[in-house]
Amino acid sequence: MNKAGTDIQIAICGSAGDGTIASGDIMKRAAALMGYNVIAFDVYPPEIRGFGKCISRIRISSQQAYSLKEQSDILISLNDSHTIPHVGEVRDFGAVIYDDHLVSTVAEGGHISAHINAAQVPYGFSIRQISEQATNSARSRNIVILGYVAGLYDLPNEHFRKIIEAKFAKKPQAVIDDNIKAFDAGVLVGQAVFKLDDVVVGKAGDEATGSKAVMMTGNGAVVRGFMEAEIQSYFGYPITPATSIMERLAVELPPAGGNFLQTEDEISAIAAAIGAGYTGSRAATATSGPGLALMAEMLGLGVMAEVPVVVVVSQRGGPSTGLPTKTEQSDLNLAVFGGSGDAQRIVLAPTNVEGCYRCAGMAFDIAEKYQTPVILLIDLYLSNRYETVVPSVEASFAPKPREPLKLEDHQPYKRFKFTESHISPRALPGEAGFMHTITGLEHNESGRPNDAIHMDMTIKRHEKLNTAVNYPGLNVHKRFGDEGPVDVGILGWGSTFGEILETMYEAQAEGIRCAAMKVVMLSPLPVEALKEFFADCREILVPELNYEGQFAGLVSAALGKPVTRLNRATGSPVVVKEILEEVRRLSVQSRAPLSAAE
Amino acid sequence: MSDPIHHVIIGSGSAGFGAATTLRQTDADCRITMITMDGLPFYHRYDLPQVFRGQHDWRELLDEPPSYYDEMGIQLRRRSRVVDVDGSKQLVTLAHQENVAYDNLLVCAGGRGYLPENLTEYAGLMHGLGSFEAAMRLYRDLPKGGTAIIIGGDMIGIDLALTLLDTGYNVTLIANAQTFWPHEVSDDERAQLFKALTAKGVTVFQDHRPVGVSRDDKNKSACCVMLEDGTEVAGDAVLSFCGLTSSVEFMLKAEVDIERGLLVTPELQTSNKTIWAAGDVCQIWHDQEKAYKFYHGWKHVRIMGELAARNMSGAHEIFYTDVEDRIGVDANGQINSTFWTH
Repeated sequence: MNKAGTDIQIAICGSAGDGTIASGDIMKRAAALMGYNVIAFDVYPPEIRGFGKCISRIRISSQQAYSLKEQSDILISLNDSHTIPHVGEVRDFGAVIYDDHLVSTVAEGGHISAHINAAQVPYGFSIRQISEQATNSARSRNIVILGYVAGLYDLPNEHFRKIIEAKFAKKPQAVIDDNIKAFDAGVLVGQAVFKLDDVVVGKAGDEATGSKAVMMTGNGAVVRGFMEAEIQSYFGYPITPATSIMERLAVELPPAGGNFLQTEDEISAIAAAIGAGYTGSRAATATSGPGLALMAEMLGLGVMAEVPVVVVVSQRGGPSTGLPTKTEQSDLNLAVFGGSGDAQRIVLAPTNVEGCYRCAGMAFDIAEKYQTPVILLIDLYLSNRYETVVPSVEASFAPKPREPLKLEDHQPYKRFKFTESHISPRALPGEAGFMHTITGLEHNESGRPNDAIHMDMTIKRHEKLNTAVNYPGLNVHKRFGDEGPVDVGILGWGSTFGEILETMYEAQAEGIRCAAMKVVMLSPLPVEALKEFFADCREILVPELNYEGQFAGLVSAALGKPVTRLNRATGSPVVVKEILEEVRRLSVQSRAPLSAAE
Repeated sequence: MSDPIHHVIIGSGSAGFGAATTLRQTDADCRITMITMDGLPFYHRYDLPQVFRGQHDWRELLDEPPSYYDEMGIQLRRRSRVVDVDGSKQLVTLAHQENVAYDNLLVCAGGRGYLPENLTEYAGLMHGLGSFEAAMRLYRDLPKGGTAIIIGGDMIGIDLALTLLDTGYNVTLIANAQTFWPHEVSDDERAQLFKALTAKGVTVFQDHRPVGVSRDDKNKSACCVMLEDGTEVAGDAVLSFCGLTSSVEFMLKAEVDIERGLLVTPELQTSNKTIWAAGDVCQIWHDQEKAYKFYHGWKHVRIMGELAARNMSGAHEIFYTDVEDRIGVDANGQINSTFWTH
């Protein structure tokens, strides 16, 4: 956080089936309703069934926050064996809340209280017992703990009740009543406890804004952007962490008059989407790295045949099946370069949930304007991350009416005509007088196979994308922090940029002249903007979540300049502390006098 | 390589804390686990009246910062209540159903405030001063300039009474046999001490047995203590300071000798060779008097904790004390007690 105010992070940890994620969901939505800015991220096990670990982390701030914090202020355990490894993530004088009434005897160290250090504040109470007393069932433990937190930290109860009622609205009234009873019982216990930690929950930013704020995940924002852009066709095959896009569209798209089809695999999905795109339908698919690998060949067809289509790629740990429920940014090379031939396409990488909404909303326009596939490259951390977003009233992603094509006198229609902008007039199949051929073979202006013109056509397909970096209304890059020359510039993309921004503010607070730049358009790269940024920075640091430093490599190759890489492939988001340490080191290095030899 | 010896200490007061520190100093490799019901690391209970002088951050009260426990390798288990000790299996059972095995056990559980039997049903209407939280609740509930009614008035209660007077509150003392405990005072000394208290502004009721406590449900700070003669003493908070009673219930299955406290040898060892005791929880065999005796006051308690730790590490030292036990009123009318010297 760069400004004073409420800024706490709550982590709820339990086993699959404990209601951990549901509990975190209510907490984050209630906090948003109170007017706080919320960023949240859930981690759940790869197993579909079983008792794997679930963690919901929720950062609640009265000011804008950009990432989750490294340390939580409050940790709540619904399952000690899963939570014990995370006790060390609680800051000094923060709180650890747990059940002090186990159902069976455990050996020494089996209870979480054995792992709480002397600087952390333990709060034990009979979570199970309170749940059973309130509802005759232990199933409401996850709601009891919410009440306890609300009571202990004096949070307004009515917001929680409202969210609980909404969450269980489709259930019988008795379920709603029981959950409210469990919440109220937790409140009473929490209110009776003397608070010993130093966690302060101050006033929210603006409750009026809170009532307008929408809590969305990155995937949810993509769907919202798609729907506002009036997507017409979606074809998909489920894969973590992109599946929720498909699930939401399966519910929302058909009633809106769109086509939804779950295909037999990813190849079919992209083929169908390209087919729909060819007909003029706003078409999309979503997948993850392994799915993108399968789609690579068909994407080449989209490039060659100049068909607009939108492909969302939510990255996870790879290669192969890899780490299905862990995050990584290692599909950048595949997204930018994957496939055969010189197949440049547009790749957009939003850095936060609002960015997902805006990029998804504009992706169809961009794909249609440049007549090419657009890849929306996000990752699990952004797909599943919740943020409060106040929808922009001025944003409109609806398609603009197509201007009818005019045939030039006595000229046959040339679908791939060479033009000054390198963008050809695009007719949809079936338009009278505009009959044409498209093919995956190299072709002439009319679309007929022709290999003699390959060089010219390759230039056309590349050059037409040159103006994309100036696409109106889309921040394809943005600089933050100190103006003019700085000691350290941090360059970032995708979900990592939140941590980069937090780092930059911390570095500035330490007196380091620092700036940060996010690059949203990875292909084509905004080279001129990057050159200006490089010129201002003595040292450039590129943190990213892959081992190879794929973005660093991309930028270095484009600018011919070296950068310092900070590569992490741990399956978890990069941590501010690590970036900050590197910024400090580079800051000192940037001020060191050059040696005589240099 | 064998496992290091595991010392478990029940209690984190002066005795327990002193013992833990001494154990570490005598054995760098042993495991030390300190189990306490308190929510905080060690602080001196006699500092609690300082909350009325503005000391509201518990971190300022600590004897050592929290990092000390990590540095010393002392595992501090807070909010953990011992419900049972199995002396033969050498197992401590905690209320949340965790078993902790030990090689040596030191019981420093201290005591809880004694409440005259006829007042036990009113315990829920009274405040306490047994922990930082209790002190803060009293501070929160007692209106500024309000009146605290103190039943008994042992030396912790008298200390609180004097602090309250100094900080703008009123104090009513309903004296009984435990007033000035653990000092044993003569009738003359008692009269002189009451005179000094009265001069400072304390309203003293002598020889009046309290029989009940009431509190206005609507105005929780409106309290009343009913005396045996029908007198009703009004105030804003009621506290009982009638000395301590040892906390030994969890030791009933430990196969150790218990009277009012745990009975220990002059080396502070119980009848079970792996269990030791120190502080207000134990009665030490006095060879000359041929009786087991309590030794109260933090100085005694600290000495006992450190002695027990040395003996647990192989020494054979015998408890000895030359700590003064004196209370009096000086020329300026100030009450002085060796109990308060720290």
